[in-house]
Amino acid sequence: MNRRPLWISLILTMAIAWGSVAAMLGVGWEPKLGLDLQGGFSVVLAAPEGTDREVLDQAVETMRRRIESLGAVQEPEISVQGDRRILVQLPGIEDRERALAAVGTTGQLTFRPVYDLQVISPAFLDGTLPLPEALTATTTTMAPEDGAATETTTTTTTTTQPPVIPDDIDPETGLSLVDDPEKLVYLNDDTGLFYALGPAFLTGIDLTGAEAGFAGVQIGAGGGWTVDPAFTSEGGAKFEEATGILSTYTYGDVRRQMAIVLDGTVISAPSIAQDVAPGEILDAGSVIITLGTDGDSQAEAEDLATVLRYGALPTTFERESEGSVSASLGSDSLRAGMDSGIAGLILVAIALIAYYRVLGLIAVLGFTVFGSLLIGIIVLLGQFQGTTLTLAGVTGIIVSIGITADSYIVFFERIKEEHRRGRALRPAVDYGFKRAFHTIVTADTVTLVGSALLWLLAIGPVKGFALTLGLATIIDVIVAYYFTRPFATLLVRSRFGEGGALSMRGAMGRPAEEGAAT
Amino acid sequence: MSLWRNLYRGETEFDFVRHRRRFFVISAVLIGVSLLSLLVRGLDGNVDFTGGTIVEAPNVAAADVGDFRDGLSAIGQDGARVQLRTERDESETVVVQTEALSVEDRDELLDTIAAVAGIDANDASIDAVGPTFGSEITRRAVEALIIFLIVVALFITWRFEWKMAAGALAALFHDLIITAGVYSVVGFEVTPATVIAILTILGYSLYDTVVVFDKITENVHELGSRHTFTEIANLSMNQVLMRSINTSLTSLLPIGSLLLVGSYLLGATTLREFALALFIGIAAGTYSSIFVASPLLTEWKEREPEWKRMQRRVERRSGQTTLTAAETATATATEERATGAAPRAPKQRSKRR
Repeated sequence: MNRRPLWISLILTMAIAWGSVAAMLGVGWEPKLGLDLQGGFSVVLAAPEGTDREVLDQAVETMRRRIESLGAVQEPEISVQGDRRILVQLPGIEDRERALAAVGTTGQLTFRPVYDLQVISPAFLDGTLPLPEALTATTTTMAPEDGAATETTTTTTTTTQPPVIPDDIDPETGLSLVDDPEKLVYLNDDTGLFYALGPAFLTGIDLTGAEAGFAGVQIGAGGGWTVDPAFTSEGGAKFEEATGILSTYTYGDVRRQMAIVLDGTVISAPSIAQDVAPGEILDAGSVIITLGTDGDSQAEAEDLATVLRYGALPTTFERESEGSVSASLGSDSLRAGMDSGIAGLILVAIALIAYYRVLGLIAVLGFTVFGSLLIGIIVLLGQFQGTTLTLAGVTGIIVSIGITADSYIVFFERIKEEHRRGRALRPAVDYGFKRAFHTIVTADTVTLVGSALLWLLAIGPVKGFALTLGLATIIDVIVAYYFTRPFATLLVRSRFGEGGALSMRGAMGRPAEEGAAT
Repeated sequence: MSLWRNLYRGETEFDFVRHRRRFFVISAVLIGVSLLSLLVRGLDGNVDFTGGTIVEAPNVAAADVGDFRDGLSAIGQDGARVQLRTERDESETVVVQTEALSVEDRDELLDTIAAVAGIDANDASIDAVGPTFGSEITRRAVEALIIFLIVVALFITWRFEWKMAAGALAALFHDLIITAGVYSVVGFEVTPATVIAILTILGYSLYDTVVVFDKITENVHELGSRHTFTEIANLSMNQVLMRSINTSLTSLLPIGSLLLVGSYLLGATTLREFALALFIGIAAGTYSSIFVASPLLTEWKEREPEWKRMQRRVERRSGQTTLTAAETATATATEERATGAAPRAPKQRSKRR
């Protein structure tokens, strides 16, 4: 019998399983933990009955953008659950007020006057906040290099509208915590520029839509990609009034710009065109925002149009459920899960070795291969798909210990049975595996079908459970074929096959008597 | 020969089928009690199913239940359930449960409790569940379940035969009803974790039954020409008995440790609830695969004319024969010799089937 393919299969399987886990440990990748293991805040938002799936997806996108733009939440997990619900999970957040602010029920779009534009927050420069030490160092080196910044600092102090001192500013970043349309706020855009913005001229409800398009050269504006916003009649009036105020500043002054702000982030801040005379009003019906001619401008224009169109959530949501898990509760649960998993594994290992001798050792090694592969896949899914490991998932893993142990038992019992029927030990292993594998595949298929269906159809914690259980059954079959089979086949041909209390023959329950016969 | 040695060698000769009526009666009684309790007492769904609000807060001010009640009455929450719980570190936690509340009422509730407990509202944890989300989880799970059952029935029919599919499903419902019955009789709370556990039981129960049926099918192929179905079923069950016992043991070990660790470690209540349902379910699953599924199948198959004829033939032949593992061994050996294929090449066998 050619043993080389068996050795290759055995070594390759172990190398892949253990190697991948070692590599992940080396890189520092860990399974991404779910909210219930890590602590955090979760909210279930329900849309009205019969809401389109597309609308829900749109809302998920908007919420994700909003939460990320508000900062301080690392990797929010937002998903559509069932027909009309959205589950928002904010890991690491324990401050309920903060979390609920992040998951407001409508997105807030405002058009605001720009008072100042800086590379560091104007809150530090106008004396609202004392300059943190780290920043003092950078400003001293930065100020001489960046002439524009120092120049505008002087203009801020002469601003005609005295700023209402904002009371809620993050002392670290100098950004306003709340994007209150009534107040002066300090916000930034995604390039890192900081804006001091006045109270809003108009908000999202004043807009009816927006279209992105390409315009040829027009009077007063260069050609290029444009966004054409449409206002309500009331909104149009507000907009026209606003342009009248802004156009009094000379072209190039930041105060000639109007900032479009979505949920605390400046999306765009177009300036009134150069040829608009001071005090002149722009007609709200024909106004366009020009972005430029290159490829990026097209994407920018489309994004801006989307923001203007869908800035507010496309539907209203009711905050149906909310819940917080403290970080300590989460880690307690994780530890309990791990401890009981390990304890269970050790008990099963002891039982299998006691009962099946050296065959039990195969099972124990097989468990480590099985476990390594399972953890490896979970880590990879977490890294690349954002799949989190929840408490339900951990229980799925613990349950799968039983399932994979069963595969070994089916196989070993089969070997014993074939041997009892008069087969020699070696053919008993070979033939026993063929029959046992048939049983294992059949039984695993049932479990796999069940978990696949659950994964596809169920929602909430059941999904996480189904995922790990399904993965485990697939890995079980793979390990049985590529690890257990070659291992047992090689082992029976080694000196562990015959003789001794640990041997396979010992496990057959009839050590000496028939050993001679075969 | 001791029982243990026989078990170890797989040479037991229990006559499972002959005593089937006895097992049917036991199962019927258990199912009857379960159904009765489910009808009368029902299941105690927790807040995830009924909807409601639970606030937990450290009771820093050491206020007593009366203080909390007074505070709650002031905001119109007279029906709230107030509990004080002493944690492992001797600190005290207040747990207040109300029905499902609106967003504003929730904020008010939180503020009131925080004020009485002497903490900041942010240090209290709130768990508010609309009655619909929990029931949607259940509804979706049940939908998945029904489709799963149909698919599995088709799978077993394809792989084995439809009577086995029916037998497997019967065993499945047996396990489900008994597990739910235990929850109802004892009054355990049903949580989403319980739903997951029950879904797992389905997996286990079917898995167990499939292993037994796989063996029966194999034995019918090998011995069907000379033995009655009852004999074959008995032999098959004896052959897989040790595997069933071992599997249940190795499945129950991790779950048992889950139960143990879950009970001792704070915060692992979800794990504990889960383990409990599994423990009951797996025990029922092992029982039903041997004592319900196969005897039911036997009862059914023995009525088929083909097997009836076989029964008469076997009776004529020797009055009473019991098929034992030892006998099979010789039977198979003889068969091998007769076909001249010794030692038998495994490939040929699988083809012949």
